[in-house]
Amino acid sequence: MTTTAVIALSGETPIPCGLDDDVALAAQGDSSAFERLYRTHVAKVHSLTRRMLSNQEADEVTQDIFVRTWQKLGQFRGESAFSTWLHRLAVNVVLERRRTFAVQRGRMTDDPTALDQVTVPPPRADVKVDYEQALEQLPPGAREIFVLHDVEGYKHREIAVMLEIATGTSKRQLHRARMLMRRHLGE
Amino acid sequence: MHEQWTDQLSDYLDGELPGDEQDALETHLGNCAECTAVLNDLKRVVRQAQSVEARPPHTDLWTGIAARLDGTPRRAVSAVAQFIPRQPRRFAFTLPQLAAAAALLIAVSGGAAWKLAQARMTQASRYANADATGATAARAVDGGKTTPPAAVMVPAADSAGAPDGGRVVAVGLADAQYDAAVADLEKALKDGRGHLDASTVSVVEHNLQIIDLAIDQARQALGADPANSYLNGYLVEARRRKLDLLRRAAALTTETN
Repeated sequence: MTTTAVIALSGETPIPCGLDDDVALAAQGDSSAFERLYRTHVAKVHSLTRRMLSNQEADEVTQDIFVRTWQKLGQFRGESAFSTWLHRLAVNVVLERRRTFAVQRGRMTDDPTALDQVTVPPPRADVKVDYEQALEQLPPGAREIFVLHDVEGYKHREIAVMLEIATGTSKRQLHRARMLMRRHLGE
Repeated sequence: MHEQWTDQLSDYLDGELPGDEQDALETHLGNCAECTAVLNDLKRVVRQAQSVEARPPHTDLWTGIAARLDGTPRRAVSAVAQFIPRQPRRFAFTLPQLAAAAALLIAVSGGAAWKLAQARMTQASRYANADATGATAARAVDGGKTTPPAAVMVPAADSAGAPDGGRVVAVGLADAQYDAAVADLEKALKDGRGHLDASTVSVVEHNLQIIDLAIDQARQALGADPANSYLNGYLVEARRRKLDLLRRAAALTTETN
């Protein structure tokens, strides 16, 4: 007797069907589907670039990220959720941008006193500081580690690889960033 | 005075403090209201970071992005949309069907590759004293082994009749680019088929028909279930195999020129 097992292929999609449609269509060159993907994900991508870089650079880099996404969509295999794939691509573009302009140079240091030299104005009790404004006041090296670890959820070992620094440096910078955020937010 | 303890608070929060240091810190925290307050502040900072909401840009960036997509090949919306049904249907294969399809595709590609390899060996012995230019061409033909998964290397369109045949370009599997590459290779194969053994041509053409059939069936299945990642992967793989077979066949005609 032959055993026939039926595989319901439609049950394999890990992300909402409508979004998956757009990913498949965009991968085939459908710019309308790609625009829908843009509108779904732009807030998260723009927030990442704004927090990692600056308000001034965020718009341009966000555009770069989506153009790069369009170019690389053919390589998306669906092994992870599209949002995860896009997010990692976005982080890579942001880090490339930092390397290109050499803004990272000198900021990633093992010198434990480096951040102590940063002057932080004392918090004013009458002004409620927005979380994003407080982020902007962090020195860049500590800021990107804080964003990657506490906002985006990367582990120290992943950050160390991405930024080509020691894990211990990542931990020290994160702690100092948290202490500065505590002061900025007037905790 | 408290710094030696507060410096450990982030590692403690993240669960990355070694056991003995954690014990010592917890003992200190039990007796130090100041350090405990700092710890609670840091917990709030982390909690806020984890809950901070994403905000869109103040201006719509799509126009600028769309303008930059113009130079990249893409397919017309209508051409794709016709494959999307109004009412998505459940699409199912039996295991034997899947196994047969996979086995067929593997057999087709393997058979064609064997035939082409055999033909190439014959050519290689015929041109045993080929010069360095010929050797370069042969390496270019084998370049597919190091090709990234989503791209394949094909001889450039104008290299079909060139003796070196060595210039290769990366081709993605997006439709317009893929179709152009397939058209170029089919033309190269058509132009050069006179240089190939008749049985080789027959095997290549027969296998191309089978792969085309697999591509058509995958497209039809995707029409019923466009979100299916397995079918998408199957289609990409079938298209890659077609391009690879064409590339090898076209390169063989170049070698024999």
